[in-house]
Amino acid sequence: MTDATTPGAKPAPPTGDTPAAGPTGGGTAAPYAKRLRPGIYRRHHYLAVVVFVAATAVLAPMFAESRSTQFLVNLWLVYSITGIGFYWVFGLAGRFAFCQTFMMALGGYMGAWVAQSSLEGGFLVQVALAVVASAVVATVVGLLVRRAQAFYFAIATIAVAEMGRVFFSKAEWFTGMNGTRTGIPPIRLFGRDYIAEDEVFWIFLGGLALVLLLAAVIERSPLRRDGVAARDNALVAAVVGVPTGRAQLTLFVLGSAMGGLSGALMGPWTGTTGDTSFGIELAIGIFLMLLLGGIGSMWGPVVGAAFYVAVPDLLSGFDKYATIVYGALLLVTIILMPEGIVGGLGRLRLRLEGRWRRIRPKGAVDAVG
Amino acid sequence: MEKFVALTASGIAYGAVLALVALGFIVLYKATGIINFAHGDLVGLGAYLAVWAVDDLNLPSVAGYLVALVLMAAVGVVMERIVRAPLRDKPVLVVVIATLAMAIVIRGLIALWQGSNPKTLVSPVGNRALHVAGAAVAQQRVVIVVVATLSIAGLVLLFQRTSFGRQVRALAADPDTAVLMGVRGTYVAMAAFALSAVFAGLAGILVAPLSAVDLNFGFSLMVTAFAVAVVGGFGSLGGVIVGALVIGLVQQLVGGYLWPEYAGLLPYILMFVVISLRPEGLIVVERSRL
Repeated sequence: MTDATTPGAKPAPPTGDTPAAGPTGGGTAAPYAKRLRPGIYRRHHYLAVVVFVAATAVLAPMFAESRSTQFLVNLWLVYSITGIGFYWVFGLAGRFAFCQTFMMALGGYMGAWVAQSSLEGGFLVQVALAVVASAVVATVVGLLVRRAQAFYFAIATIAVAEMGRVFFSKAEWFTGMNGTRTGIPPIRLFGRDYIAEDEVFWIFLGGLALVLLLAAVIERSPLRRDGVAARDNALVAAVVGVPTGRAQLTLFVLGSAMGGLSGALMGPWTGTTGDTSFGIELAIGIFLMLLLGGIGSMWGPVVGAAFYVAVPDLLSGFDKYATIVYGALLLVTIILMPEGIVGGLGRLRLRLEGRWRRIRPKGAVDAVG
Repeated sequence: MEKFVALTASGIAYGAVLALVALGFIVLYKATGIINFAHGDLVGLGAYLAVWAVDDLNLPSVAGYLVALVLMAAVGVVMERIVRAPLRDKPVLVVVIATLAMAIVIRGLIALWQGSNPKTLVSPVGNRALHVAGAAVAQQRVVIVVVATLSIAGLVLLFQRTSFGRQVRALAADPDTAVLMGVRGTYVAMAAFALSAVFAGLAGILVAPLSAVDLNFGFSLMVTAFAVAVVGGFGSLGGVIVGALVIGLVQQLVGGYLWPEYAGLLPYILMFVVISLRPEGLIVVERSRL
């Protein structure tokens, strides 16, 4: 698997004057230093996060005039959180993990248990303990199967998810009657209840903004490079000294914690947490979010989650044929855009830029760098 | 004693079905490198096709089963055309995800065609039971073991004695070299998809009379078959058969005696422990060989 972002991540090709000539000629020192910075630092991750959050804050309330649309927008936000976590696990570390929905369920039950047991923790305590619980379980699982590669890791995480499913259905002290917690109190933050869909929206947007900032930090950090190296060629990466195991474990734990976070957000929002909300459909769905959105960028799962939430709703007019149309649409999207929507757009941009470069004289390109 | 005999019999029969399911997707994996996540839905589809052939076409049961298996082969070929052919230059991962989408399509088609109510498939031996050492063993379980043994023996002969088998083994060992030496990858892939679908359908038809046929029918079989592949190793046919019997017997005996409530967990615990201790499976084969 090749990294779809590599074209941008490579240092700029030395067109025109060679880099070696740079330091000697005093006037070209600044562009030389600029050119040496890896491309990833020149992409404005933080700016993109701010623009995205601002645009969503302005546009989403305008778009969501009805309660059901607002519900879908909120669902998109929580699915984006779990999708970004899965992007770290699967997209960056290359870990074929099937337990992201298990982590969501664990987070959801943990939050509900904290709220309803004698602890009576507030919203922030619920979320914090849910994140900690899923991170701890992910650490144990990740350490136990750290040597398993590719498909064996996938099977081990399927085993974890299935064990969790049986445990959740039996441990009623933790998961409530028949594995369903009901009557979870609504989100209460800073002395105020957030009950209506358009109130919950702001909490979820804030949560997604924090996760996106963390994603931007990771995007620029050595952790990402180590994970990608371990994913693309674990043997070579380990030989040259990349801490492959540590990078993959860290990304797996962080990603699973985001699963727990989104699960913990969903409980107080809908009032119930049940295993049925985290079934096999969602497990496949999270894969699809990443694949449809694009596996090579942190924005992939955000776009993919929008697709995943919106399309079944748009297809509801097809009535009983909806599932088939949906599946067929997925197939067509995968066949036409194997790099996902974001990846497809990126390729389009590269193609347009290539055309633009050909038109411009060579020197001008060099100045742009 | 009766309990032991009954549990052993169901363990062996369950193991035989698991072996069929696991061999189905391992054949495909070896020939094409694709893990087919629609395999569980193919198991269900086979059972539904048999129900349709017997109930709606009024065919005698064995003839109905054969019709269902022929249709399954066609489904396998169609699936290769939809899922693999347009994506063969892409990373295998993309194809794997396409099989997930295919699983959704198959499940949607079944729901549309047969509705979501569970169906029953009649067995040619009916509900009769054999009495062995005081235990009643459903004759269907004997049928399962006999048919599975014959099919697996046929598969072994196919791989050891025919040109097709040599081509699949060559593709499994080294796909690039095999194609350079004149193995026609596309035809072998189509045949492998068809063979894999037939094995899935056969497993579905065999196990269907013992339970109700519904939309989630094949999924747990598929996941347990993953466990078989892990325990038995992806390499050898023998390993898969041993793995299937071990998992079948462990689930029935340990589950039946010690821990009935959590019996369904055992294969998963077993496969998690195996992967933790031996990350490449219990039986590691140096050269991949079918």
